[in-house]
Amino acid sequence: MARILSDPAALFRLLAALLLVLAPLPAAALTIFACEPEWAALTKVLLPDARITSATHAGQDPHHIEARPALISALRRADLAVCTGASLEAGWFPMLQQRAANARVQTGQPGLFIASHAVLLDDIPAVVDRSHGDVHAEGNPHFHLDPERMLAVARDLADRIGGLQPARAAEVRQRLLDWEKHWEAQMAHWQALAKPLDGRAIVAQHGGFLYLFRWLGLRQIADLEPRPGLPPTVSHLQSILASVRAGQPIGIVQGRYQDPRAGRWLADRTGLPLLVLPSTVTDDGDTATLDGWMTHLVEALVAVTR
Amino acid sequence: MRIEAALLAAALALTGGASVARSTAATGSGGLFNGVEAGLILDGGYASKGLALGGRERGFALGHTEASIGGNIDDKFTGRATAVAHQHDGSIEVELEEAWFETLTLPAGLSVRAGRFLSQIGYLNEQHMHADDFAQRPLFYRAFLGSHYFDDGVRLNWVVPTPFLLRAGVEVLSGKPLTATPLHDKTVGAVAFSLRTGADIGRSQSWQAGFSYVRNRLEADPLADGHDHDHGHGDDGHDHDHAHGAQFGGKHIWIADAMWKWAPGGNNFARQLRLGGEVIRVTEPNRFATRDDDHFGWYLSAVYRFQPQWEVGVRHGQIRAAEPHGDHFHTVRLRESEVMLAWKPSHFSALRLQWTKQRNLAGFGDAGSAVMLQYVMSLGAHGAHSF
Repeated sequence: MARILSDPAALFRLLAALLLVLAPLPAAALTIFACEPEWAALTKVLLPDARITSATHAGQDPHHIEARPALISALRRADLAVCTGASLEAGWFPMLQQRAANARVQTGQPGLFIASHAVLLDDIPAVVDRSHGDVHAEGNPHFHLDPERMLAVARDLADRIGGLQPARAAEVRQRLLDWEKHWEAQMAHWQALAKPLDGRAIVAQHGGFLYLFRWLGLRQIADLEPRPGLPPTVSHLQSILASVRAGQPIGIVQGRYQDPRAGRWLADRTGLPLLVLPSTVTDDGDTATLDGWMTHLVEALVAVTR
Repeated sequence: MRIEAALLAAALALTGGASVARSTAATGSGGLFNGVEAGLILDGGYASKGLALGGRERGFALGHTEASIGGNIDDKFTGRATAVAHQHDGSIEVELEEAWFETLTLPAGLSVRAGRFLSQIGYLNEQHMHADDFAQRPLFYRAFLGSHYFDDGVRLNWVVPTPFLLRAGVEVLSGKPLTATPLHDKTVGAVAFSLRTGADIGRSQSWQAGFSYVRNRLEADPLADGHDHDHGHGDDGHDHDHAHGAQFGGKHIWIADAMWKWAPGGNNFARQLRLGGEVIRVTEPNRFATRDDDHFGWYLSAVYRFQPQWEVGVRHGQIRAAEPHGDHFHTVRLRESEVMLAWKPSHFSALRLQWTKQRNLAGFGDAGSAVMLQYVMSLGAHGAHSF
């Protein structure tokens, strides 16, 4: 130690090393906190080298997440948080914001990107009253299943990242343009593939897949939940049984995090196929990218019409 | 008191107004976009018997009925006020439990909160009572912390940018609720230090642990204490004590807490097991105390959500306290076990059936057993719950 202090060169090297450790990381590596996996996937398209954490995964109900210590520490370190908004995360994200004490991701700061601000939502309720269940005043927040709205969010997100890192705005813009071209081609492909679905009926749990159904021309004629956000009950399933039979739907759709017993109950009594689909991108496999996930959904829906 | 009642009324009016004027999102609190939010918690129920250090009155009684208003003040500050009405000895008391503002944009993970707030010592203390898994706080909270310790003061927190949660905090407080009859008045009556850490283990498990220390600077007056000197303690009731203050105080308070949660695949909405416990030691109750005259308490709890709307739980705990009698102390001990079943039809309502059995080990002649029925209903915005 004494030798280092008496040797100016060694001292300089020590100080330089200290500075390297303490200096803010270069613009190249943004740390991103995504509330849901679809936004993690979208951010990865625009910024492949970013350190991205997704707070939730396809096996969880994004309405009911706990403000866990691991999430607080992830948000504490984030330069940018990308969330759905429309009150989807209202039960947990505000607590994370408060506990993380990260000035960059507070409401109104450029480091908080709310995807729902980029789009108009469907199903805005005329009356918001909790006796109607877990209805969101802002409209149905599961719009990530609409490929058109996904495009709108991607454009806004690219702008936001460009604003946060002006030095990289051009490259992010270029990646957006490449992705847009690819996504639009895929959209044409999915719609061509989904021709047999047009005008058909379908049954599902919650409004989780409504945007996709509409985009593909499917009509959701019944919901397994008695009220949005409340678990299915046998009495409710019994009450929709007749109309489900009469509506001749192509099948019953549930998300991965939903209890499959309700779907099985209805499937057993109607002979309809039960589809358990990932309501967002997954950690691995074919559905780990936005593209692969959407392809899987469309193909799975088309498959039951054959 | 009058001011607090007015505040409660204002909060109630705002709650009603807000639900009409502002279409409140139904998922819980807003906060992501909205401005001011108002919420109301209705809590009450029935208890077959009043218990030693009881958190619930005998018969039908209101519990912790809260009206709360909060939201971002501007881009730099957020704030919240909560007025609470509850039944105490048959009459309704209203008090202001929270009235604080907090910084939003301090650098480096720092934040400052000032005003009246729930101290962040222990696991349960910084949580609102309506989020509890049982109808009353654990024994040691009721005995040593007045059920929940809130106070006027300032807090500084630092969340360290580590890959796991690490939060260090210091609170400078009036200390008045910790000492019923202080010998001297001090502007800063208590200083509380706390450390909190936690992380996930894989996808299904998460944990949290904390350690807190409070230096209580207000010395208790050994002579002003309400206990009789004829050694007739026990069933003389501990009713000299006000429900809001600590029954058994001391100069140093140490609390260690831990919580572990397990949810298959991380889907806590469907099923979840929560195991937690805390242990507390309070020393130097007053100037006559020797090394052996201290208070000690602990509890362990297990709660299992076996279906989205149903939870069962058990809790067991014990306290040992040095009850002052002039210049000496008598050791009192109490044990408490409880079992509960809760039905939570939605995120906003809960009905709970609980059976509590107390065992007097020394000095608690009013110990007993009780069946309790509790409701907790939430209207309007409802602050997001912590882990």
